[in-house]
Amino acid sequence: MSAAVASRLTAVCRQFQRVLTVSSHTQTQYATRAFSTFHSCQQSRMYDSWCFRSPMNNRAVHTSCVRKGLEEFFDLPENWGEQTVKSGAPWTAKQLRVKSNEDLHKLWYVFLKEKNMLLTLEQEAKRQRLPMPSPERLKKVERSMKRLDTVVEEREDSLRLLQTGQERGRPGEWRRNVFGKTFWYRFREHPIPWYLNSRYKRRRFFEPSHVAPYTRLSLEKYLRSKIRKEKREKRNQKSLAAMFPKKTALASDH
Amino acid sequence: MLGNPQLRIFRPTFNLTLVRPGKEQPPDTVQFRIPLEMTKFDVRNYLEKIYSVPVAAVRTRIQYCTNKKRNHLNQRVKRPDYKVAYVQLAQQQTFQFPDIFPEKDQKHEEGSVEEMQEKFMEDERQRQKSDPRRGGVTEWFGL
Repeated sequence: MSAAVASRLTAVCRQFQRVLTVSSHTQTQYATRAFSTFHSCQQSRMYDSWCFRSPMNNRAVHTSCVRKGLEEFFDLPENWGEQTVKSGAPWTAKQLRVKSNEDLHKLWYVFLKEKNMLLTLEQEAKRQRLPMPSPERLKKVERSMKRLDTVVEEREDSLRLLQTGQERGRPGEWRRNVFGKTFWYRFREHPIPWYLNSRYKRRRFFEPSHVAPYTRLSLEKYLRSKIRKEKREKRNQKSLAAMFPKKTALASDH
Repeated sequence: MLGNPQLRIFRPTFNLTLVRPGKEQPPDTVQFRIPLEMTKFDVRNYLEKIYSVPVAAVRTRIQYCTNKKRNHLNQRVKRPDYKVAYVQLAQQQTFQFPDIFPEKDQKHEEGSVEEMQEKFMEDERQRQKSDPRRGGVTEWFGL
């Protein structure tokens, strides 16, 4: 009896936890809007670091959690019809590296929703043949998303190196193609081994004998250009030294 | 259980664009432009999980855009193709595409360039108007 009650209690607690985590996730998105409506200087979409300093502790400021989902495809109604909408600087990689993985995950969805909203606005502006207010917001969001990607990739790379010693996530190897060029071949997943794959066997990963002279020629071209570059550098340095000889510096010291 | 585990994407790169329908759609239908690689199931999961919008049905089609236009070098320029999704909302919800560019009275701040320009234009328009005492009769008529 007591065991049944205890199990039911734990189930209820788990449900509460799930509800809380969901609501906290949504609250972080709405926290930005709550802040923007609260601020006297009509600054919406301030994606500086203040937006995530205290995401969970603003329940007193919060208006309501439940909003129609499709309203998030549009800006705040106060900004409809404005010529410019103020927005903050994009997130830098340095600011993003400080955040935890859960925060970055939530921030990715914030960026995603913002980008969807901006794309909707852009398309509607094209439809109505009017200029889009503040199109630089799109670039800011794209750059922030790219930097977030970079930070997550860095973390995954370091984890993988520490745990397994693998440098790349996807296995591959250096191979030579039919034209004599060496390239990094990335492996794909197949349900059958390579010797049963007729299409793979038609693909040649070796250089036929008649292609070897052309490989040699391209190698010679590459070496020639490298040597020419080095010689050019040396020539430049020599002419600079002729223009500004070292003994004048020493003479001026004395 | 056969096969690989279900594909889960942690940080989706798909962007959805809500568009105003070109043709009249039923009140519960919302029109989106989605990337070509997305499927109906992807759209349903996306809207339900990220936007918590109840979805009843999704229909998609691919819009082919022209490769006929040419640029100043007479090269053919392709307008990118896109996929359109018609999403029907569940629970008898309706959606009307709002007017995002309403007319607003521009109140420029004192002493700004735009305010001076507006004043100048207003003065010009006033000068161009004919004398109201003539009652709409043109200038070249009469003395």
